[in-house]
Order: sequence, then C-alpha cells, then structure tokens
Amino acid sequence: MGSSAKRKKEKQKDFQKPKLKVGKAKAKPENFTDTSFKAKAIVLNQQSLHVAAPTSSSQFSHHLSLLSSKSDSQRRDSLAHLTTSIASRPVNSPLPQPVSVMLSSLLPLILDANNNVRTALLKLLKTLPPSDVQDHVAQLLPYVRAGMTHLAADIRVSAVEILSWMVDAAGEAVVSCAGGWIKTFNCFLSVLGWHTEESARWSSNRASFGKSGSRGRPMVKVLGALAEFLEAGIGAPGAPVDDEQHEGPSSLAWPFPLCQTSQHMISESAAPYAYLNLFGQPRDEEGEMYETREDRYRVFSTRFLSAVERGLKSAREEGGELGRASSSVSKVLKAALSYGAGP
Amino acid sequence: MVKRKLGALEKVEADLPNLQHKIRRDPKSYIEDFRAQHYQYESHREIFMAAPSAATDTGIISLKELIDFISHVADCYPEILKDFPQQLIDMLMQHHLVLEPELREKIVGSIVLLKKKDLLDSATLLHTLFPILITTPSKTLRALLFQKILSELRQANSKTTNHKLNRTMQTVLFNLVTSDRTSSKGLWAIKITRELWKRQIWTDAKAVEVMKEASLSQNEKVIGGGVRFFLGGDKEREEMEDESSDEETLDIGRLRHTLQINKKSKKKARVAEKAMATHKKKERKKNQPHPLNFSALHLLHDPQGFADSLFTKHLQNSKAKLNLEQKLLVLQLVSRLVGLHKLHIMSLYSYFQKFLTPRQPSVTSFLASLAQASHDLVPPDVLEPLIQKIANEFVSEASAGEVATAGLNAIREICVRQPLAMDETLLQDLVMYKKSKDKGVMMASKGLLSLYRDVGAQMLKKRDRGKEASMGLRSGEKEQRRFGQQEVGGIEGLELLEKWKEEERRKRREEKGLPSDAEDDEDEEDDWAAWNVEDDDDSDDSGEWINVQSDVEIELSDSEDEGKDRPSKKAKQDEAEAKEKEKDDAAQEAKLSTLATTRILTPADLAKLAELRAQASVDSAVNGSRSRRPALPAARHTDDPLTAAEIEGLASLSAAKATREERIAHAREGKPDREEHKSKEGRRRERKQEQGKSTTNKEKARRKNFLMTLGKAKSKNKRSLVETRAVLKAHHDRQKRGGKRGNAGN
Repeated sequence: MGSSAKRKKEKQKDFQKPKLKVGKAKAKPENFTDTSFKAKAIVLNQQSLHVAAPTSSSQFSHHLSLLSSKSDSQRRDSLAHLTTSIASRPVNSPLPQPVSVMLSSLLPLILDANNNVRTALLKLLKTLPPSDVQDHVAQLLPYVRAGMTHLAADIRVSAVEILSWMVDAAGEAVVSCAGGWIKTFNCFLSVLGWHTEESARWSSNRASFGKSGSRGRPMVKVLGALAEFLEAGIGAPGAPVDDEQHEGPSSLAWPFPLCQTSQHMISESAAPYAYLNLFGQPRDEEGEMYETREDRYRVFSTRFLSAVERGLKSAREEGGELGRASSSVSKVLKAALSYGAGP
Repeated sequence: MVKRKLGALEKVEADLPNLQHKIRRDPKSYIEDFRAQHYQYESHREIFMAAPSAATDTGIISLKELIDFISHVADCYPEILKDFPQQLIDMLMQHHLVLEPELREKIVGSIVLLKKKDLLDSATLLHTLFPILITTPSKTLRALLFQKILSELRQANSKTTNHKLNRTMQTVLFNLVTSDRTSSKGLWAIKITRELWKRQIWTDAKAVEVMKEASLSQNEKVIGGGVRFFLGGDKEREEMEDESSDEETLDIGRLRHTLQINKKSKKKARVAEKAMATHKKKERKKNQPHPLNFSALHLLHDPQGFADSLFTKHLQNSKAKLNLEQKLLVLQLVSRLVGLHKLHIMSLYSYFQKFLTPRQPSVTSFLASLAQASHDLVPPDVLEPLIQKIANEFVSEASAGEVATAGLNAIREICVRQPLAMDETLLQDLVMYKKSKDKGVMMASKGLLSLYRDVGAQMLKKRDRGKEASMGLRSGEKEQRRFGQQEVGGIEGLELLEKWKEEERRKRREEKGLPSDAEDDEDEEDDWAAWNVEDDDDSDDSGEWINVQSDVEIELSDSEDEGKDRPSKKAKQDEAEAKEKEKDDAAQEAKLSTLATTRILTPADLAKLAELRAQASVDSAVNGSRSRRPALPAARHTDDPLTAAEIEGLASLSAAKATREERIAHAREGKPDREEHKSKEGRRRERKQEQGKSTTNKEKARRKNFLMTLGKAKSKNKRSLVETRAVLKAHHDRQKRGGKRGNAGN
C-alpha cells in the first residue's frame, strides 16, 4: 500500500542518484562480477620462433594466403606486397609462384567489396607477364563477367577496367575462348543498358539500380572498353605483313622439301584441343568458342549489331563526354563493317 | 569537398531483396536490372560448375542469394528463365554430395518454390527429390527432402485426388522395395506410404501392395516397417482422424455473446464472420456421409499367398535372422491374416507347439497369436493337441496364478473361435477351477464355463449347465453346431422395423377410421416419397444417429456372405428377441424375413432401423436381466487384434504381489479424474472466470479493499440514534421494493 514510512523510504532509495566525485573511481553497479584472475605464468604451447628471417618466397606464399583475410586493409596490403615482389624480381626470372596458383586466390577479389582492394588487384594483374595471362583467360572471364553485372556500380567499373587490361594483354584469347564473345558482349549490353529498344531510349543512365558509385564517368570507361573489345574481336585484321614476318622464320625451321609443315603440327598454344571440349560441360550457343573473326562477325551482325547501333545513336545524341566516347566505338564499328564478313 | 548526401537505398551495396520487391511490383521496367542479375547468376554458376566442391564465398553476393532472388521473381520472366529450373535440378542431382549444406538447402527450397509458381510440374519435382532422398548420406538433407516430398504429395492431392501422380509415385516406391530386397532403402518407401496412409491420401490397394512387398523383403528393418504398418497403420489413421475432427470445437453461442458485449470494430466483425464460416463448413462436413475406408488387411489381393510366404520366409525358415520381437510381430500379422480371412496354414499350428511353455519369453503374445489364428474352419483335431498342451503346461494346481490364468484365457479365446476343439473331460476339468482361491484363475474359468453354456452345454456336467442352457437343451433349441455349419444370416433388427411399420400403418388407418387390418397400397408410395433421410421428419431431429448409419452400410455390403464369422455373436444379439420368437410361430418368422427380399429399403428405412436397433440395445441394457452377462469377446469387431494383455487377463489382480501404487492406480481406473477438492462455489467461480464472465456483486463486495470500507465502518459507530433509524428504515423500504432500482414487476 505504501502507507508506512519504511516502505516509502525503500521506494525512494531506488530513485536516488549515486553521487559521483572527481578523482574517485565510479561506484561499481550492484550486479558487478569480478572477472579478474591471477596467474603465475602464461604458457604458450606453440611458438614459431626462428633465428633466420623468413625467405622471400615463404613471405610471398604467406601473403598469398592472407588474401582471403577478413580485414580490408590486410588484403590490400598483401596485394601491394605481392605487386612489389613481382615487379622487383630480376628480369627474366620466373614468378615466385606460378600464375595458376596465384589466380585461385586472386580471382574472388575481383568481386571484392572494397574499392582499394580492387585497385590494388588491378595493379598486381598489370605486373603479370602477358604470356602467362593468355592461358588463364578462360578462368578469369567468368569472374569479370560477374563483376560487370554486379549490383554495386563500383565493382562494375573495376571489372570493366580489368577486362580492358585483359584485352590489352591477350585480346585474341579473350574473344575466342569459350563463352568469351557472346556472354561478354551480353554483359556489355547490360552494363550500358542497350538491350532492348525501350531501355535504350531512356535519357538517364539505365544501369542505375543500387549504389551509383563514387568514381565518375562510368559510362565513358565502359564505352572505351567496348571499343577495345570490338577491335579485338571483329576489327579488321591488321597488316598481313605482320603475319608474313611471323611466318618467315618458322618456314625456315623446316628444311627444304617440307613446306607448310607447321600447319600440320600441334599448335603451340596451351590448350590446343580446347575447342573439342572433351572434359567440360556440354556448351550451348552462348558458351561456344568463336575462334575466327568470321564466326564472331556473323554472330555479332545477327545478334548485337542493331542493339549497338541503336545504343550508339542515343549516346551520340546525348553529346558531351559520352558522345565523344561513343565516337571511338562507332569508328571501330565502321571499320569492321566496311571490312565485312571477311575476305 | 562536401560529402554528397546519400539516399537510404544508395547506402546499401547490393540490395537484392529491395530489387526483388521492385521487380515484383513492376516487372517490365526492371527487366534490364533483372537481366544483369541473371548474367551475374550465370557467371557465378559457371564459376561454381568449374569447381563445385570448392565453392568459396565470392564477395558480397553469393550464388545462394542469387538463386534465391531469381527463383522468387521467376514467374515474372518466364521467357528469360526457361532453363532455370533444369539448371537447378542438374546442379542438385550432380553435385548434391559435395555441395555446401546451406546452398544445397537453398536449391531444394528454390526448386519447390518454382513448383509452387507452376514453372515445374510435380512429377519432375518428385523425380528429382526422391532419388536424392534415398542416396544422400546427409541426415539434414534427408529430413528436408522427406518433408518436401510429403508436403508436395499432400498438396497435389488436396483439391482432388491426383491419380496419375499417385500411381507414378507408388510405382516408384514399389520398384524401390522390390528391386533390391536386401537393402534398407525400402524404409523410405515405408515411411512415405505410411504417412500418406495415415493422412488418408493413399487409401488404395496399390499402397498396400507396396507394404506387402516391404514385409516380404530380406532386410529386418524393412520387414519390421512393413509388418508394423499392417498391425497398426489403420489404428493410426483413425486416431489421426479423431484428432483432426475434434481439433477446435468452437462454442458458437459464446462467440455470439462476446460479440454483443465487447466493443464493436470492423476487425472483430471480420474475425467473427470467419469463425462462423469455418463453423458452418465443419457442420456441413459432419453431416456428409462417412467415406468408406477399408483397412489395409482387407485390401490385400492375395491374403493366403501373402500369409503363406510370410510364414515360410520369416518364421519357418531357419536362416531368417529375425530376433524374437520381430518374429512375434510377423507371427501376429500372420495369425491376424489367418483369423480375418479364414485362411488355412496347417503347419502354422504345429509351429506353435514348441513355444507353448510357461518358460518361453513373452509367451502370452504367442498364446494371443494362436488364439487369433484359430477360426471356425480350422479342423478341430489340429487345435486339440495344442489345447491339450496348454492345459498340461499352464493349468495345474501347482502352477502360479498368473500362469494358470493365462492358460485358461488362451484356451477360452481359442474355443470362442472354434468350440469343437475342446475335449469333454478336459473341459470338465478346467471348469472345476472356478472354485479356485485365486481370483484371476476363478474369473478365467468362469469365462470358459459361460462360453460353453452357450455353444456346447451338453459337454458340461449337469450342475454346471445353468437354467437357461438346460432349458434350451431340453427344448432342442440349443444344439452344438457341426464343423463348418453356418448360421443363416439376416439383417439385424429387421423384425423391429417390420413391427414398427405395422404399428405405424395401424395408427394411420385408425386415424382414417378404417379397419386396422385391411391392406392397402398407399403407404408403399408414401415410403417412396420419403426416400431421402433429410426429408423424413422422424430422423431429422435424431442427428446423433447418423454415425450409426455407416454401420448399416457395412452390414449390408457383406450381407451376402453373412454369418461367416458371426454365428456366436448373432446368437447373443438375437437373444434379446428370443422370448418374442418363442411365441411366434414359424410362419410369422418366414414373413419377417421376407421384408428385405420383397421390397427395397429406403435410406429413411435404414435410418429408422438404426434408431430402433440402438433403442433395443439401450432397453436391454437398462431393464434386462441378461445385462448381467459380461460382454463376450466374440462380440467385438473382427478387425480388432487380440492382445497379450487380454490373455493375461486379471492375472494382475490375482497376485498379491501388486504394489500399493499399482493397486491405487487400478482402483482409480475408470473413475472420472478430479484434480482438486474444492467447494462447489469455488469451482463455479473458476468456471465463470474461464468463460470470461464477470463476478457477482457479492463477490465484489467481499473482495473490496479493506481500507476502502474502513471509513464507512468508522462512521457507522458515530451515528446518532436518529440517523440509525433513518438508515434502517431506508433499508427496510428498499428490501420491500426489491432492490435499489425496484422490481419492475411489482
């Protein structure tokens, strides 16, 4: 009932403020539990103490393993360490680890959430020798495509950057590997939002769902990469002189009566019979390899030409930086079209 | 640089749920975004297919989330996603062994979701899930798949029975059981069939066939599963039905009452309406005719062959690896089949011979099985040595009370089914145990005595026969039946119906003022007019008899081969009318029996018949001197099994070994449980409170806070005489008036 004086006092006690004094420790709460303990010694069962500093190769593999670390900065730092150790190795000496080993931990980083990590990754990739990259394009491409269609715009942009590096380093391999042509092109169209007539007519950037990205001019970059990609895929074959130069010494390798023998020998590429697809999943039309320019041109003209032209038109109409970037694409396109299906 | 202000959505890196929500609202506008996510999924799938086991978590979005997202919006873009279901199925079928558990579960869930969205048909779904169910080593996946398969089958059969799907599924299960008889994979077939049987989704012979094959397999677990199904599946089904029927009994009156009292709101009205609708639906369901469900034992195609092969494969075969418990189960099934279908397996009885000793573990179960396996078409000379052996081994002065009780009960149960198996001298010996000090033995012996008073009184000594039996013997009415003799069948209670009709006609004629005995054809037509039960006002108010009606149907359905297993039962039940029959001459009896043959009984007739029969049984129970007789075991349903507990009988009573707790428990049995001793008033108050009703004024006054009453009590003391007088007067007046507000009537 609360009528008695004792009860009233008890009630009031609950609402009294504890008095704090300067220079004195705060009073412990009522339910405080003392968790401190004393120990005579702390024993570490396993310690790895070595007199010698770790070798550079062991450090390299250690940093490679750190790439799957949870912390962003750790991944970034490890990438930087790897980059410097690759870049600073003596000329013509082999890589500390083969590319195939490194790629398995590098690839997931293409889809990394952190911007800095992806930038560092691109730097690292750029230090790799192009000849090694050529053989692993088929492994790289799915990740790049996944990046290009990612919900986060930043990842899209950096994936496009990586793709343009790949085209730079191994253009022929990129466009001719399994699924490299149609699937990648589809991704381009979806990044640019050029798939359907309706979507191309939107005045604003259509690929706008999710975070729009902090780094500017994504469309311009994408258009630049598209131009490079088109050039690699269906660009007019360069000077035939180049071929002849290449053929010259090889024909010399064979003594006189043998001519064109090199055509009958096993190709020197890493996977000469990849097109047979002996061990993989059966491929559909999209996943097929389009090894020659004619094939690619045929596919392009039936599937993508109208969409690209429509998109280019709307980009040109928009003008500005975008219009200028689109002009480079249209230039490549014009050259390819004039060359036609091939000689 | 000033930081740009971010919208709430922009802060999120990759918000698939948000996109999903937007797509669902406007699929057309977001097609580009969806296409991008689909490419994303394709690339992730490619990465995954390259190395299914090493599925690393790639960045912010995993394949799992993409699959989830796409399957949720799959119905918006059927054109883009026409391959999607097949891709998921392939992924699951090929890699379910190495898949990461969460991803695996997600794929299963997505496939089921696609089925819900009609992008996949249920046959494909089942063909995907079932093979994985029986091959996967993962327990969680199995549980998930089992649940999904069951719910899919239930859902497919919810509106109408999906015969096609059921047939394919049953064929798959059948093949599973029969293809490899030694493997334990048949358990899944058993589990699924049993569950669906329980829920009455599968009630046909094909499901029973699956279980039959399962019980003939070579794996002990599968055998056990199949046999248990036959022994308990139907009971389980009945229990399930009962459970679902008395799930929630809505008190509609109370609902109305609360609606009147409580505050009215739209929501409450809606809830009440819904409750009313379900109530009405349930009522309608209750009035619908009960669907005919045959028990699994009746649906067997070839019971003789089945029982034969069960017996030779699992019991006679010395190489069978079953333990005693499993053997007992099989034996129970075999004996039930034999008893129910009146089969002949002659070697079965000699098989029992070696188990009939008191030292045999769980011998009562063996005895029960033996009794179950005997029926009136078993040659008496096959059963006689068994009875002799039971009597020698179990029933003697020296043996313990429980043992003798069990033996006597077993002998009685056998003789109920085949009275001819008893030897006269043995019977007279056994009947002498009615004088036993042991209560169990005494009761068992008396049971045997009363049985033979009915079925073979001349075998008893004269002083044991009793009045009725000796009178019956003298008049020649009670003759022992010969081997294979069948009772002439009829429709139970038909003569009651006949009598009732006669009375009705007489009444009507009297009303009309016609001579009561003359014939006319009018009432024939009246009967045809009252074809429907619903139209008939006689049966309209007797709603509770509708349950009984289902019995009539069953009775009618096997009336052709009537009396196969009921002769003794028939004899009992007809005894109520025995007196009347005695008076009636043979001619009238012939006339009675023609009722069913000369005219077709309308449903109204059948309802009346059921009512009359129930009335007759109630009458005989209330005022008949015959009601003293305990109900004989033969009177129960033939489908019910005989249990070991029945063989043990009152043995538990007989022994003084029962502990105090046991005795108390036994005394408590059958008495209504009463948790607490409370006053009537207290219980009433509790009940009212439970129903959400208010307290009385008296109660309120009693509960009133003491301090609140204090002031008035104090002031009462200080009243002057005048004041006191005024108060008393006012009280008196008020009483006279009948309360404060006065009584309106006065």
